[in-house]
Amino acid sequence: MTVLASPSPAKPGTFTTTGLRVNTRSLHQPRVMFSNVGWLCVIAALCLSVVGIAAIATTESSYAVRQVFHLCLAVIGALVMALPHYRWMQRLAVPLMLLALALLVFVLIPWVPQSIVRPRGGARRWIDLGITDFQPSEVAKIAYIITLATYLRTRQNYRGFLGLLIPLALSGIPMVLVLIEPNLGMTMLFLPTFFAMLIAAGAKIKHIALIIVLGLSMAPASYPFLRPHQRDRIDALLAQVQGDPRHEDDIGYQGARAMTLVGAGGVLGVGKQKAADLIEYNHLPEEHNDMVFAVVTCRWGMLGGVAVITLFLVFFTGGLLTAALCKDPFGRLVAVGIIASMFSQMTINIGMTIGLLPITGLTLPFVSYGGSSMIATWLMVGVLLNIAMRRPQYMARRSFEFDEG
Amino acid sequence: MNKDKFIPSMFHRRLVLVLGVIVLAMSALGAQMFRLTVVEGSVRRAAAESKLDRRTYLPTTRGRVLDRQGRVLALDQASYDIAVEYDVITGSWMAFQATDEARKKVGRARWTELNPEQRIQAINEFLPSWQAKSDRLWFEIRKAGNLSAEKLQRQLDAIKADVQTKAVSVWEQQFLREQALYGTTEVQFQARPIREQSQPHVILPRVSDDVAFEFKRLQMELPDMFEVASSSRREYPWMNAEVPLPRNSLPRTIRHADPVTIKVAGVADHMLGAVRDEVWAEDIKRRPFFDPETKQPRDLGGYLPGDVVGTRGIERVFEDTLRGTRGMVNERRDTQERNRVEAEPGTDIHLTIDIALQARIQALLSPQYGLTRVQDWQNNQLLPQGMALNSAAVVIEVESGEILALVSMPTLAMGEVMNPLQKQINMPVVNRAAEMPYPPGSIIKPLTLAAAAKENLFALGNSIECEGHYFEGKPTIARCWFYRERYGMGTHGPLGAEEALARSCNIFFYTLADRLGIERLTAWLGRFGLGRALDIGLMHPSTDEDGLTILVGERAGEIPTPKVIQELRDKRELKYSEVILGIGQGPVTWTPVQAANAFATLARGGVIRDATLLTHDPRGSRPPRCEDLNLGRPVVEAALEGLRRSVMEEYGTGHHITYEEDKVREIIINAEKVNVWAKTGTAQAPAMPMDSNRDGVIDKKDTPLKGVDHSWFVGLVGPKDSNKPMHAIAVVVEYGGSGGRTSGPIANQVIRALQSEGYLPGDADAPSAAFISAAGEPEPEDDGGDE
Repeated sequence: MTVLASPSPAKPGTFTTTGLRVNTRSLHQPRVMFSNVGWLCVIAALCLSVVGIAAIATTESSYAVRQVFHLCLAVIGALVMALPHYRWMQRLAVPLMLLALALLVFVLIPWVPQSIVRPRGGARRWIDLGITDFQPSEVAKIAYIITLATYLRTRQNYRGFLGLLIPLALSGIPMVLVLIEPNLGMTMLFLPTFFAMLIAAGAKIKHIALIIVLGLSMAPASYPFLRPHQRDRIDALLAQVQGDPRHEDDIGYQGARAMTLVGAGGVLGVGKQKAADLIEYNHLPEEHNDMVFAVVTCRWGMLGGVAVITLFLVFFTGGLLTAALCKDPFGRLVAVGIIASMFSQMTINIGMTIGLLPITGLTLPFVSYGGSSMIATWLMVGVLLNIAMRRPQYMARRSFEFDEG
Repeated sequence: MNKDKFIPSMFHRRLVLVLGVIVLAMSALGAQMFRLTVVEGSVRRAAAESKLDRRTYLPTTRGRVLDRQGRVLALDQASYDIAVEYDVITGSWMAFQATDEARKKVGRARWTELNPEQRIQAINEFLPSWQAKSDRLWFEIRKAGNLSAEKLQRQLDAIKADVQTKAVSVWEQQFLREQALYGTTEVQFQARPIREQSQPHVILPRVSDDVAFEFKRLQMELPDMFEVASSSRREYPWMNAEVPLPRNSLPRTIRHADPVTIKVAGVADHMLGAVRDEVWAEDIKRRPFFDPETKQPRDLGGYLPGDVVGTRGIERVFEDTLRGTRGMVNERRDTQERNRVEAEPGTDIHLTIDIALQARIQALLSPQYGLTRVQDWQNNQLLPQGMALNSAAVVIEVESGEILALVSMPTLAMGEVMNPLQKQINMPVVNRAAEMPYPPGSIIKPLTLAAAAKENLFALGNSIECEGHYFEGKPTIARCWFYRERYGMGTHGPLGAEEALARSCNIFFYTLADRLGIERLTAWLGRFGLGRALDIGLMHPSTDEDGLTILVGERAGEIPTPKVIQELRDKRELKYSEVILGIGQGPVTWTPVQAANAFATLARGGVIRDATLLTHDPRGSRPPRCEDLNLGRPVVEAALEGLRRSVMEEYGTGHHITYEEDKVREIIINAEKVNVWAKTGTAQAPAMPMDSNRDGVIDKKDTPLKGVDHSWFVGLVGPKDSNKPMHAIAVVVEYGGSGGRTSGPIANQVIRALQSEGYLPGDADAPSAAFISAAGEPEPEDDGGDE
């Protein structure tokens, strides 16, 4: 149905019939594209999850079965995330962040009974929900991305240097809360996400570079403030990199075993039974979550490892294409944020497995065993799919808002 | 409007930047993976596979050392040790156990809530029962080991002190090493408990099987507190003996109708050597069990901590032969297949010595017997009567060159009970028979004669005139011993070779030495084995103070080198040194074993067969020297005749001793049914170190005693009817003075010892020695070889 309006000179803020006609057409077209770049991410994620299940099955077939169950739950969750327009996330950003912060503080409260917050290895990170454990830091991660995207979309001052420092300082709040748990690994994910989103939003590269350089040069000064086991891991890495076998059997044993098994895989891998034996007798710790990449490389060799990395590359490419094709600034930033956080996690995990980075408690997305991390990661896939699915809107739509406001 | 923020081109550029970072990171990961899997892949695979092997190592035994009669001189003896855990010794074990029990009873949650006083209260409830267990254990140990409470406590305190000191020094060393390598500071250094702090310590070593069994039963009541460990100890069953020696053939001052039993300790200990049960870093470096890179077993004969290593003597020289190889059982954890390499015990070493003869000769040389003390008949003007003297004796079988006895006094065992000053004076560590070069003195004369005769510089049958002093117009140097106040400035007149040897006329041999010249005489002495270590089987490498590797265990002695000859020439002393070389003075020294060896060579007519302790050398290193000096019968006969006359003719220096007070004479060699050919020697010795200022230590402030002589008696002995020498004997008494008077009677007893042990016909009525095993019970000697 067309509405005729009186022709008038084009003026900013008014619309012409053509624009109206187009917009009306757009009002009628379905707002969802079923074939979109986001499926690339979904396929890559699915392949990675299957690889993960196979890797877990090398040593623990019961866990593999459970992981299938987690995968199903996660995929459902992702689809649920994909359905409503992601605009609602923008609106719920601040409440979500506050909820996440509240949960983070909740986990840290010492009076909370152990039936709810069960410490594992001295770390208070998980809330016990009966069927699975749930990490508030995962929620915090997603909330952070969304909140930061909202912030960046409505502000401009991050083009200046001082303007950068404000969000950086505000990011410090969730970071510190996660760090206290302690969870150094997860904390380390916030910063690359922050930088990536800022770069995508348009902050000046030299400002970002300056901050990174300053940060790296101050990092060694933080060494004394680290917990002993965190310091141990850095010592162990330094020793390992120098080829010094001092710590191979005590604090550095995880890294040493992982590197041995990665190397043992050779180019083509050693096959399931042999890999299972080698992993068992070399006492690889955490072989189904933190160190799962070592299992992959041991069983399928360098080619297997390269395949996994390539699948991640496909995933990231899909995500970046989603960001590129999306015209909505919020959507773009959320996509970039998700990709950045996943990329950092993948790099830190694989880096620690192959001996380039100190051991942290980070798992490999999609591949590692774990209900809460699987669901949380797939939820992010759902968000990506959500963003990719939405028909790109014209710029003019935005002017609607400004006109009313 | 904020359009410029989202200019597609800028945003997309940024995205490309992000993608670039991603690809870069992935390449880094890929490169590292390539390095691990391809470059280091095989090494890592091997390392990972090695964890699939479950290896156990099978123990082995060290080879034995046997004497010529097959008696076992050194062997591994299996036994049990009772070893108590270090924590039980210090008492902390009981505290841990009580704490554990208390914590379990109170409950983990409640435990964290208790304050320290409440905790201690809870622990104290349980402590007594654990304490009672510890008391029970110590009670049983005291009972089994027959130890008083104080003695046991002293032992435990010693262990604790020892471990603490060791811990401190180990940590210090570790800290310094880490500091040197990695720049650690004290804060970063982590002192981990040393091995000894988490190990059991032996409280009752080598208990009997019954006791071991009782303790094994006790272990069921008191678990985890102690260990009944099977061990093996290196035992030397023939180390101590009681030797009954007859005294009826001794010089009258000490003669007695009844025999005396001499206790000897450390029989052949210089030769046999010792082992230590600590493996040092250099042992592991020399022969590691595990390859340092791959950590796989490389050499099953290699060293592991806790192994036994030879430190000196035969145990050290033949370490690699005596050491066996371990066995290995390798089980693959995945396939369960096993393969097994059996352990090989070490190879036995057979020595040529006769331990019973060795013990007997050692008893003869003991000061307790009397012959090695300063006695009246020796006419020693410089040393006090009754002073004990150090000595050495060697017996070699002429035909084969095998050493039947190699005795050095004092032995190492005797040295262990000496105070530092005595050790400094007597040097018990030195094996005088092979490691102490002495000036030969007149003993060398038969060799001078042989050299001159072979060089056709002296025709046998000719004479040389002794005029008292050699150099015309210089009556005070290069004199005959006869040309002295005491003997009325006597001269021998013209003498043939045999008589010159028997009378030991110096002039005769100055003449021969002069005719030979120093180079030729030196060359001949070298042919007879001087100036060169004989390598009888005691030489092994060692590091000296400067870090250089030298060979120790035997010394080569000294003969004039071209450099020394040149120096003498420059100092214008060459002529003098040349002539006195003929009588064994000047820059010439040899060890007793070289002396006996040279005489054996002479007896063989010049056939070289270097003296040896081994029936065959398992090292198979060098082929034995096979040379023949071809002395020829006339030379040998002349020399032997001279030596015979020395002992048998009244004018011979080895014939009799005279008692000063009543001028009574006694024959030196009174053994019957044997022929003896021998030479006495009174060699001018370097000044004797003394603690003259009695400050308890010998240093530059003390004046050494000058004018002393070493006493030599070296010769050959054979059965009466065969007229062929069968054994070569060398006896030397340090600072003993006259050769015939001091060493002569000893050599006489050595001959009688050979008779007692059946090597020579004659006096076989001497009772056999009783050897005492380490546990203190005398074992009857397995007598090998009566007549």
